[in-house]
Amino acid sequence: MYCSQEELNSRLRRVFEGAGYRRYVMSKFEEYDLYSDNRDFLASEKVLTFTDLDGRLMALKPDVTLSIVKNTRESGGIEKVYYHENVYRASGIGFKEISQAGLECIGEVDEYSVCEVLSLAAQSLMTIGESCELDISHLGLLTELIDGAGIGESAKKEVIRLMGEKNLGGLAEFLADEGAKSPLCDDIIALAKFDCDASEAPIALRKILGGKVSEESLALFCDTCEFLSEEFPSKVRVDFSTVGDLNYYSGIIFKGYVDGIPASVLSGGQYNGLMKKMKRKSRAIGFALYLDLLEPLFESSDGFDADILLIYDRSAAPKDIYSAYKNLSADGKSVLVLPDRPKALRFREVYILSRGGVRHE
Amino acid sequence: MNEMLNVALPKGRLGENVYDLFARAGYRCPEIENPSRRLTFENSALGIRYFWVKPSDVAIYVEKGAADIGVAGKDILLEYRPDVYELLDIGLGKCRMAVAAPKSFREDHKKTLRVATKFPNIAKKYYASVGRDIDIIKLNGSIELAPILGLSDVIVDIVETGATLRQNGLEVFETLFGISARLISNKASYRFKREKIAAVISGLSAAVKKETEND
Repeated sequence: MYCSQEELNSRLRRVFEGAGYRRYVMSKFEEYDLYSDNRDFLASEKVLTFTDLDGRLMALKPDVTLSIVKNTRESGGIEKVYYHENVYRASGIGFKEISQAGLECIGEVDEYSVCEVLSLAAQSLMTIGESCELDISHLGLLTELIDGAGIGESAKKEVIRLMGEKNLGGLAEFLADEGAKSPLCDDIIALAKFDCDASEAPIALRKILGGKVSEESLALFCDTCEFLSEEFPSKVRVDFSTVGDLNYYSGIIFKGYVDGIPASVLSGGQYNGLMKKMKRKSRAIGFALYLDLLEPLFESSDGFDADILLIYDRSAAPKDIYSAYKNLSADGKSVLVLPDRPKALRFREVYILSRGGVRHE
Repeated sequence: MNEMLNVALPKGRLGENVYDLFARAGYRCPEIENPSRRLTFENSALGIRYFWVKPSDVAIYVEKGAADIGVAGKDILLEYRPDVYELLDIGLGKCRMAVAAPKSFREDHKKTLRVATKFPNIAKKYYASVGRDIDIIKLNGSIELAPILGLSDVIVDIVETGATLRQNGLEVFETLFGISARLISNKASYRFKREKIAAVISGLSAAVKKETEND
């Protein structure tokens, strides 16, 4: 458990910088068009907007990845950046400022880059809490199987939604209603059930998908599973309920969980679809950590607002008050100095400075 | 971390039937069987804690992790789309979501259809799928009254036997989908209490199967 959000932030920074990722600092605003063109990529369609002095419609950033992709030049190499930014999203009945950290790897992304990003995701989770799990799946393999079963585009979205809910009964019913009779439908259901440690995944996946999807993609995914299971034993599972929007994500997709937090705290994947949509030739993979969700993990304060309250008489000379404060804080204790006792605050000790000197209450 | 499995049950007759199913699946909790006003009950030997909540709140308790698993109606899941896993149809609380109106109702396609409902998202989605322009009138109860008093043309509501509709001179014009109670799970709990949740799914599946065979 961490004593503060700051300590966690600094450890995460060390994880990212340790792998050579550069910090990417950006403006809080972006032109609204960027988000209206890519609404499906956002967690919520609602964006906080305002009109700039020159009449342009601007938005407070609801997302970081879109800005990084937009502002990264295609140089032919691989760009590795990390960020720690606030984003602004609709939450409940209003907008909320949310702290987010993450990284993006953009450019000629190769097999090593994918393994590196996944390993940084696993390391980030382990930095937050030892009891954690990184779940991965592969949207490319899944869509190849669904396409092979002759399932249309709108039905494909529903199949993926039901898989995301682990709704096996609903999925079987939907496939039957759609009249999907291909033997591959049984494989789709088998993938929907698929949830095992990464070390067991390659053999089990080859049994289901062998000969039905691209051998190259399957082999690469199995290699990635093997790498992750060796580097992070019993921390990584292959779970095909880990899904995302097909317009943006195309290959490996992943989510991270930490014991004690009721939702996924990390989310990422290969977003080559987004790159294509933004007319980029290169590939990309990245993830975001939702730092605001981690609050319950931080040590709660010990119930005191300061170690010592020093109450002074208003007639006391400032140099006497300051001298009493210096004596009391000499061993590193926090001292709040006020002329009256504040309501609703708690202190370990209370001292009173009057004409007779300082006395313990 | 707390190793108890927290289960949110819907208050009322459905919840009692759901608890009976859990008991038959091997998760009895004698405390809950004695009438009282308490809301939480646990069997520490089995590592299970039950609590009664308003049926429409079950999904919120589960989504936010206050409960690891729970039982919620398909109507609630479709209306609120909580971010949870839907693991099993337990076959209880069977009914249907339907469009109903006074027997004399004839739809005028030149006018916007006024729809009274407790389920605005379900109603909107259904009418969007058939390309019909509607006005939603969100009510919290006594939906059948709306067309009788001219507040709406039709209602979209849950129909069990149809008796309430008949008594109020209404009839079903269209069935949208069937409804039954579903076992749902928090997504993080599913990972960190995997074995316990898998055991509950397996126990409940066997109990549901046995009940279906006996019917």
